[in-house]
Amino acid sequence: MLDARVWLVWVLTTLVAASSARNPLYTVLLVLVTTVVGMVCASDDGPVGGPRAILSPLRFATIALPLSALFNALTVHVGDTVLFRLPGWLPLLSGPVTLEAFVFGAQNGLVLTVIFAGFAVFNQVTPLRDLVSLTPRAFHEAGVIISIALTFVPQTIRSLNRIRQAQAVRGYRMRGLRDWPPIVVPLLISGLERSMGLAEAMVARGYGAISDQVQSLRTSAGLVVGLLTLLGGWLTFLFRPAWREVGVGLMIGGGALIVAILWLAGRAVRHTVYRSRRWTVRDTLAIVGCGLTLAAVVLPSPLGRGTLYYSPYPRLTLPVFDPLVGLGLLGLLMPAVMITDKRGNK
Amino acid sequence: MRRIVSGMIYGLSGAVGVLAFLYPFFVPATAETARWVAHGQNAPLITAALVGLAVLALTIELQGQAISAKMVAMLGVLISITSVLRFIEVAIPMPGGFSPVFAPVILAGYVFGSRFGFLMGAFTLLVSGLITGGVGPWLPYQMFTAGWAGLTAGWISGGMEWLVHLMGRSGPHRSLRPDIAVLCVFGFVWGLLYGAIINVWFWPFAMGPAEQTWSPGIGLGETLARYGTFYLVTSLEWDMARAVGNGALILLLGAPVVRALTRFRRRFHFEVHADA
Amino acid sequence: MIHLDHLTYTYPGSSEPALSNVTLDIAEGEFVLVVGPSGAGKSTLLRCINGLAPHFTGGTVRGRISVAGHDSVVEGPQSLSRIVGFVFQDPEAQFVLDRVEDEIAFALENGAVPPAEMRVRVEEVLHLLDLAPLRDRPLETLSGGEKQRVAIAAALAFRPRVLVLDEPTSQLDPQSAEDVLNALTRLNTDLGLTIVLAEHRLERVLPHADRLVYLSGEISGEDGGVLSGPPRQVLRQIDLTPPLVTLGKALGWEPLPLTVKEGRAFARRVEPGAAEQSLCRSRLGDGADPLLCVERLSFAYNGASTLSDVSLTVRAGELVALMGRNGSGKTTLLKCIVGLLRPCQGEVTLAGKPLIGQETARICRQVGYLPQEPDDLLFADTVAEELSVTLRYHGLEDQPPLPPTQLLERLGLEGVMAVYPRDLSVGQRQRVALGAVTVTHPRLLVLDEPTRGLDYHAKQALVRLLREWQAEGAGVLLVTHDVELAAQAADRVVILSQGEVIAKDAPEVLTVSPLFAPQVARLFPGQEWLVVEDALSALGKAIPDDENIEVRARLSRHQGIGCPGSAADSSSRRIIADRSTSAAQDPNPPGA
Repeated sequence: MLDARVWLVWVLTTLVAASSARNPLYTVLLVLVTTVVGMVCASDDGPVGGPRAILSPLRFATIALPLSALFNALTVHVGDTVLFRLPGWLPLLSGPVTLEAFVFGAQNGLVLTVIFAGFAVFNQVTPLRDLVSLTPRAFHEAGVIISIALTFVPQTIRSLNRIRQAQAVRGYRMRGLRDWPPIVVPLLISGLERSMGLAEAMVARGYGAISDQVQSLRTSAGLVVGLLTLLGGWLTFLFRPAWREVGVGLMIGGGALIVAILWLAGRAVRHTVYRSRRWTVRDTLAIVGCGLTLAAVVLPSPLGRGTLYYSPYPRLTLPVFDPLVGLGLLGLLMPAVMITDKRGNK
Repeated sequence: MRRIVSGMIYGLSGAVGVLAFLYPFFVPATAETARWVAHGQNAPLITAALVGLAVLALTIELQGQAISAKMVAMLGVLISITSVLRFIEVAIPMPGGFSPVFAPVILAGYVFGSRFGFLMGAFTLLVSGLITGGVGPWLPYQMFTAGWAGLTAGWISGGMEWLVHLMGRSGPHRSLRPDIAVLCVFGFVWGLLYGAIINVWFWPFAMGPAEQTWSPGIGLGETLARYGTFYLVTSLEWDMARAVGNGALILLLGAPVVRALTRFRRRFHFEVHADA
Repeated sequence: MIHLDHLTYTYPGSSEPALSNVTLDIAEGEFVLVVGPSGAGKSTLLRCINGLAPHFTGGTVRGRISVAGHDSVVEGPQSLSRIVGFVFQDPEAQFVLDRVEDEIAFALENGAVPPAEMRVRVEEVLHLLDLAPLRDRPLETLSGGEKQRVAIAAALAFRPRVLVLDEPTSQLDPQSAEDVLNALTRLNTDLGLTIVLAEHRLERVLPHADRLVYLSGEISGEDGGVLSGPPRQVLRQIDLTPPLVTLGKALGWEPLPLTVKEGRAFARRVEPGAAEQSLCRSRLGDGADPLLCVERLSFAYNGASTLSDVSLTVRAGELVALMGRNGSGKTTLLKCIVGLLRPCQGEVTLAGKPLIGQETARICRQVGYLPQEPDDLLFADTVAEELSVTLRYHGLEDQPPLPPTQLLERLGLEGVMAVYPRDLSVGQRQRVALGAVTVTHPRLLVLDEPTRGLDYHAKQALVRLLREWQAEGAGVLLVTHDVELAAQAADRVVILSQGEVIAKDAPEVLTVSPLFAPQVARLFPGQEWLVVEDALSALGKAIPDDENIEVRARLSRHQGIGCPGSAADSSSRRIIADRSTSAAQDPNPPGA
C-alpha cells in the first residue's frame, strides 16, 4: 500500500517523537496514534510473511510499565510526596519511596511502549521483501546474502524436520542439550552442500561480475576520516559542554561523510531493479504527516517548547497540554488516513 | 597500508561501541547546563545512530572487498540455518534466555576468519529480526555485538596458532581441543557482554533524561551501582543462561562443526591450471 | 557451436583425470543427450562447456574448448553465462529469491539490464515455459517440475544460444519429469536452441535426441571412452539402455525402435510361440507368515484425510512395491508404520506385536527405514562411523547383531570404509544410508523411493542386494515411482490413490493400468510380460550378453518355484489389458 521507505520514515519519526516529547499526555497520545495506525494498516493485507510479531505492544506495556515504575521508585529517592520509607540497611534501595518517582518511572515505561509499538507496526505492515529492498545499493551483496537467507528459511525448516526423523529412525532420542550435535551438524553440512550448489548456479547465471573489483583504498581512508570525526564530535559533545555545538557539527559531518561514501560506493555497483515501486501521492502525503510531527517536537516553538517536558519532581503537578504539539503528533496518523482513503475509493 | 587502514576502521568502530556502552555513566557527571537539556533527551537516539553508522562503516569496509559467489551463498545459507535455530522450537529443552545464535557465529568466525565472522554475526541478527518481526532500535546494538563476536573469533585461530607455535607443538594435525576450550570461554564472555550491550538501547529510556534523575552528589560510582542493580534485576539471569549455553554449545558442537567447516573452507582455495 | 578439442580435465587433488582427451563437435540446434554410468564424468563435461570447470571447481585443463567462438576456459563462467544457460539437478538448491518472476529477473538485475528490456525478457521466458499463470507464486508452493521449469526459464533469461542441463529430472517424479522434458523438446524444435542434456531417464528423451554421447568412464582409451553419434548407432554399442531398446536389440529389430509406437510395429509381427508356459512371480504360497500387517489404517493431517482404511501385509521374504501418484499417501503410510506419524485409527503389527504407540527409536530396531533423502542420514566423518553411530543410538555398540564390516562388504562398501560419506557417488551414498538403518539387522525393510537419482547399474546393485535380504527371510516394503523396478523386483504390487488402496496384487496388475505399465507391457498388450526377460523367455530367445548375469539368476528362481493357478488368473486379466495406445503414451498431460 505505502512504500517501505515511507514506513521507515514513519517509524523513525515515532522514535524521535517518543523520546523528545516527554510529557505523559503526549506519550499517551502517541500510544493511541500507533495503536490506530497498527489496527488500520495491519488488517489491510493480514500478517505479511513468516512468524512475525512475537510480542504484542499491549503485553509489552504490561511488563514494561510496572517494572519501570517500580525500579525508578525504588532507586530514586527524590520528590516530596513520600509514600513510605525503606529501612536503612539496603544499599541503593533504602530511603524514601515517593509518588513522583513512581510516576516518572511509569512515564518512562510508557515511552518504551510507544517505541515498541511503533516498531511492531513497522514490522507488521512492511512485507519482508520490501524491507530487503531497502538495503542501500552499495550493500548489494549484503542484500543478496539476506535474500538467500530468507529464501532458505523454509527449506531449512523442512531439512531440520527431515533430519530429526532420519535420526529418529536410527534409534536416536532427543533428551537434552547434549543431543544437539546429531541434529545441528547434519543440518549444517547439508546446508553447506546446498550453498555450494547455489553458488555454482549463481556463477552459471553470471553472478559475481559486479563484485570482482577490490575496494579502493580511498574509500577505506574516507571511512577512517568519517569515523574519526564522528567519534571526536561525540567525545566533544559529551565531555566539553562548552563546545557542544562543535561536537554536534562534527558528528553530523562524520555521519554525512560515511553516508556519502555509501552513496558513492553504491554508484559503482552496476545493477538494475526489476520490480520498482512507483512513488505515489499517498506516499508523499504520509511523509508530509511525519514532517509535521517532527516539526512539532524538534523545532523550537514558543508555545510547544515548555510543554514537551514534564517533570513530576519535586512535587507532582498536572502536565500541560499544548494543542499545537498535539496536532503535530497527529501527523503520524497519516498512513492510516491514506489507507482508509484508498479503501474508500475501492 | 591497506591493513593499517582496515585496522583503524575496526578500532574506531569498536571504540564507538565501547563509548555507546559507557556513556550513560558519564553523562550525569557532565550534564550541567540547562540549555542542553533538550539534547540530553535525545542522547539515546544519538547513540543508536552512532552505533548504526559504526556498523555501516565496518560493513562497507568488509563487504566492499570482492566477495565470491561461494562466500555469498555460504553466508546466506549459514545465516538462514542460524536464524532458524534461533526461533524454531526444536523440541530440544533449553534454558530461558539461551540463544543458539552465538555458537555458529563464533565457530564460523574462527574457521573462516574475521570478515566472514563479522558479516555472519551482524546479518544473522538482522535476518532473524526480519523474520520474527524483531526490527527495532535495539537492532544496531545486536548487529554490532554479534558482528564483533564473530570478528574477534577470527582472531582466535591466528592467536592459537601462534601460541601453539610458541610452545613448539604446531603441526598439520595438532589437536583442536585447546582451541575449543578457548572458544568456550570466549562464547561465555560474549554471552554476558551481549546482554550488557543490548541493555543500552533501553536503559537510557527507562532511566529517563539523565538530568532529571541526577541530583547533586550522585557521581559515576552511584550511576554504575544503579546500572548494576538494573542489570541484576532485568537481565543477569538471562545473560547467565546465554553465556553458559554458549559455552556448552561450543563444547558440544565445536569439534564436529569446525571439522565440517574446515572441509568446506578448502573449496574456497584452489588453483586453475590451463596447459596449452 | 560447441567444439571440444582433446579436452582433458583433472579435479584438484586428484591423480586421475575426470575427462581425458575428449573431442566432440556439437552443431547449432542439436539436441544432444549425454549418458553414461555415474562417475563417468557427465557432469564434468557439462561444466566444461560453460567454464564452471575449472573456474568454480579448480583443477587442471588441457586441450581446447570453444562455445560459439568463445573460449570457456579463458573467459570463465560469468561471461559465458550470456551464451550458455545451465540448469542443475536439484531444483531447490538453485534459487536465490522466492518468487517466480523475481527469480527469473535475478540474473538480469545483476547484469544491469535496463528495466524496460528486463520486462520484455522476463515476459518472453515466462511464455516459453508456460509459467505465466505462476508468475507471482512463491517458489515454495510449486511442484518439483514447475520449479525446474522456473530454473530453465531463469537460465534462458539472457537469451543464451545453448542450454545445458545436468540430470534435471533425477529428483522429480515421473509426471514432473515429463513436464520438464516436454518443455525442453519444445524449446529445441520451436526455437532451435542447442540443448545438451545429461539424463538417465532415456525412455522419454531418446526419440527427440539428435545425437547421443556416451561416456563410459574408461578414460584410458584413445577416444577418452567417449562414443558419439546418432542415437541408434550409439545404442547398439552400449548396455545402459531402456527395456524397449534392449528387447529390440535382442530380437534384431531394424531400425532400432526408440518409442513404444515404433516398437509396436515390430511387436505385432512377433508370434508368441510357446508363450503359454506362463511366468509366475508369486513364489511364496499364501501360507508364508505375515511379517507386517497394516489393518484399516487411517491418518488425517490438519483435518484432511491422507490415508483411509489402508490394509496391507508383507510376508517374510517378500518384496511388496507400493505405488501411486504424488500425494497418494505412500510416504505417510511408511511414516505411520515406523511411528514418525501417529495414525488416528487402525493397527500395525510386526510379527504379531503391535507397533502403534511405540517410540520410533524402538520400532526401528526391527524395521529398517530408509527415508527419501539418504543424505539426511549422513553426517559422520567416515562410512564405518555411520554404522557405529546407529549402533550407539540403539545401545548396541558392544553386541552388534551383525558385524558392521560384514554388512559393508555386502553393500560393496568395504573399499570406502574410511571415506567421508558425502564424497561418494549417489548410489554409494544411498548404500551407506541403507547400511546405517540395517546395521541392527531388521526383519523388515521399508524403503522410500530408493532409486531416485540412481543410474541403471546402481539400480541393479540395489535389486541384487534386496534379493539377498529377501532370501534370508527379510520382508521389504518399497515405495517407488519406477515401474520398471517394480516390474522387475516386486512379488506383489499395492497401488494407493488418494489415501486408499485401489489394487493389491501380483505385479501383473501393472499391465492393467496405463499409468503404471512398464514399456514391455505396453509393447505387448494382452500378454502379461513386464520385463525384457519375460518377453524373451516367452519368445524362446536367449537373453543377450550385455544384460547382466543377475537377470538369469532371477529367471532361474522363477522357474524353480511352482505357481499354482496362474493360468486361470492370467486369462481373466487379459480382458482389461486391452487399452488404447494414446492413453499409454501420455496419461498425464502437463498442467493436469
